[in-house]
Amino acid sequence: MPIVLISSSPHSVGQELAQQLERKTGWPLFSRKQLAEQAHDQGIKLSRLETSIVKSPVLPEKLAREKELYLAFVTAKLYENAVEGNLIYFGRSGHLLLPGVSHRLRVGLAAPRQIRVENVVRELNLSPEKAAEYIDRLDADIEKWIHYVHRQEAKDPGQYDIFFNLQNMSLANASMLLCETAALPDFRQTPLSTKRLEDLYLAARAKLRLAEDEHTRSLDLGVRAVGGVVTVTYMPRQEEAAQSISHVLQDLEGCRENLCTMAETTILWIQEAFDPKAESFKQIIQLAQRWGAAVELLRLMPYKSDAPESPTVSPEQHQSRSPKPTEHVYTGGVEDDESEAPVDDGGLARTQEELVAIGRSAGGFTVYGGTGEVVEAVRENSHYSLVILGDLFLDKGPETRKRQTREMGLTIRERLKASVITVAELESRFLFGKKQALKAVLYAAAVVCLYVLVFHFQEPILNFLGGEIHAKWKWLASITVTLLVPLVAYTYGTVAGLVLKLIDID
Amino acid sequence: MHEFLAHFIQIDVGIALQVILLGFIGGVLSGFIGSGGAFFMTPGMMNLGVEGVVAVASNIAHKFGKAMVGSRKHGEAGNVDKRLAVSVLLTAILGIQLAVWINSFLFKGGSGHGAAQGAGANLYISLVFVFILLAVALSMLRDVLRPSGEGEAGAGPSRKIADFLARLNLPPMIHFKVADTKVSVWILLPVGVATGYLAGTIGVGGFIGVPSMIYVFGVPTAVAAGTELYLAMFMGAYGALSYAFQGFVDIRLTMLMYLGSLLGIYLGVYGVKVVNEKYIRLTTSVIILLCVISRGIAIPMYLRQLGFISIDPDWDKYFNLTSKFFLFASGITGTLLILYQVIRAHRQRSGLHKTLRVVKQASYPA
Repeated sequence: MPIVLISSSPHSVGQELAQQLERKTGWPLFSRKQLAEQAHDQGIKLSRLETSIVKSPVLPEKLAREKELYLAFVTAKLYENAVEGNLIYFGRSGHLLLPGVSHRLRVGLAAPRQIRVENVVRELNLSPEKAAEYIDRLDADIEKWIHYVHRQEAKDPGQYDIFFNLQNMSLANASMLLCETAALPDFRQTPLSTKRLEDLYLAARAKLRLAEDEHTRSLDLGVRAVGGVVTVTYMPRQEEAAQSISHVLQDLEGCRENLCTMAETTILWIQEAFDPKAESFKQIIQLAQRWGAAVELLRLMPYKSDAPESPTVSPEQHQSRSPKPTEHVYTGGVEDDESEAPVDDGGLARTQEELVAIGRSAGGFTVYGGTGEVVEAVRENSHYSLVILGDLFLDKGPETRKRQTREMGLTIRERLKASVITVAELESRFLFGKKQALKAVLYAAAVVCLYVLVFHFQEPILNFLGGEIHAKWKWLASITVTLLVPLVAYTYGTVAGLVLKLIDID
Repeated sequence: MHEFLAHFIQIDVGIALQVILLGFIGGVLSGFIGSGGAFFMTPGMMNLGVEGVVAVASNIAHKFGKAMVGSRKHGEAGNVDKRLAVSVLLTAILGIQLAVWINSFLFKGGSGHGAAQGAGANLYISLVFVFILLAVALSMLRDVLRPSGEGEAGAGPSRKIADFLARLNLPPMIHFKVADTKVSVWILLPVGVATGYLAGTIGVGGFIGVPSMIYVFGVPTAVAAGTELYLAMFMGAYGALSYAFQGFVDIRLTMLMYLGSLLGIYLGVYGVKVVNEKYIRLTTSVIILLCVISRGIAIPMYLRQLGFISIDPDWDKYFNLTSKFFLFASGITGTLLILYQVIRAHRQRSGLHKTLRVVKQASYPA
């Protein structure tokens, strides 16, 4: 059964819907109000975060950390409050929580404005005009919250699995419909969704613990957990403090291995199969070393009938939430934790091993599905400076593969606000190869010609720019300057950029 | 020598190398600070004997090409709000036009004191330069020296002015989607004019454009920088066109500056990635302050040339020399400090490839 995440406009009837569902299913109900109280007890300054987000579109560094902490806290609380995997959560932007968990049911609810105004008039004792104004302001604030905390647009219908409009539907019928939807096989817990939830929970606890410790609380960290392996990336300037990371995480329940990588940024590499001996791997490593970046591997597999999400998990199987590995050999953090025969992971573990060996690993994991699933999987950790799309959609023809890769790139760029390129473009955009050498030579020759021309014919040129010729041809002189200047800047700028690229400064 | 060459200097190898050096230092500072290097290059060229108006004109032409290259990169990163840029640009053109008109008027002896040609414009440019950059440097220093715990919640840019203006809600309001903010046309207008005026006067429009966008309009910092660069491209083009029409652009100076600046910019931008932010702001404010002192020292010379004060003309060379010393000392010291950090960080980068792995015995609940 699913985790039902209900999100509705303030002062509508979202809470009533959640309570009705609770009565029908017997699943525990957890609200944002309870969450806010517990967050306050934990020392998370939620009200300050809310006020700041409403006031400023730019999150200061400390508040950005507070935001991460709050999201980690919410994730942990949702997991802990779920009984046998079931939970009803009601609260603002609830539908955006637990990204990538397929057994969550994201519910949206819209109530007629008149009902909301009446509710505010009754609850807050305001005049109808003031109540309407109050609702508008509140809606705008929530839009900002969604925008800055979840980096999503509030009105995107694709965020919901089901949306109720109570204009012509009673609450009782909506609740009945929701109950039936929740029972659909599409929202049942699967081994994969359970694993994803456990990974999120482990990462959330790791973040909370790192935020509690005085040695690590001020660090800018990237934290991800996959199959009991917690990968933390930290900035080089925080090297001294970062030595405490492993110490802080050493007795974290469920964490069987901890990888700490020093990196200024993270490159996400998406591909169906990885090979540490491939040319693309060498190129990406070259770029990562130049940028001081860690590389995160995402193995994207298409949906298949035998994909691991198909079998559902029975309650008995799911009683223990923490993974219990029976062996402690490093596996790349991608396989099931049960002792099993080796599975084909498309070279993910081997490639990650190689990244660990050269000190560039930011973790790796497998995602089944398409672009939507990729975005969901990386959304909570999406501060990537570059996303590289490798060989994808291998079961399709070359043209389809090319088109789908391009479409995926556009979507990822839009949703994650990161630069996206394909492996094929890597060399021309960021590395220095033969083509770049040739380009540098040609542009350098053009630069030399331009400079020789100008400095050899200084007198006539100055006459044209400010002398007697200029007096006759003022417009021509102006247009010539306006065209020549960017030409020089572009050609010489290209040469300078390529030369610095050659010596690994870019 | 032809008469038209009077306001263009003779460029020998020594001068050329100094202009390239100016460009390089300006480029490093520009890439590092992210707000143009004209505050260094303009007075630097004036110290080499270039007329103020020619220095400004050549610099604005230089800025045009540089911004064109830079804004393309920002555009790829999604940091450019074109609508905001076009809106500011339309108003900034008024400011640029005003600046070009004042500079040309003063250069042609409009000050009415029968002084040497250019002294009025030089004094005017120097005064604007000193007042504006002194304010920028001092506010930056105040930020750096503020105790770290102070204003914890407001560690980012203050929203006081933007919030106040938003509450006024003066129609018509324009919504800027990329910057995610709404701004009244009545607020946009003076900010645009001021940005254009400063860009046209001392070639440092970014010093008012970027803070205005952040503090007055409430635009995120990265978008403000990207939009300013996009805007600078058009303002630079318009400024270059206007000054070239007046016959003040020395293309040789512009091209020599590029030789140093485009290389310097790459290094400066690289420095921002690898150097601590507090260090960046401290270095920047100290460099700007020294530039202000340098320009301030030259002011008595222009006052004398205009007949406002009486000093022995022989002292001009001392004023010029001291001014030049301060300028180059600040630029070279600042650049060396930045380059030192860049090289150190670069070497560290190639040396530091660390992944610490800790495999544990299970600590799972029974």
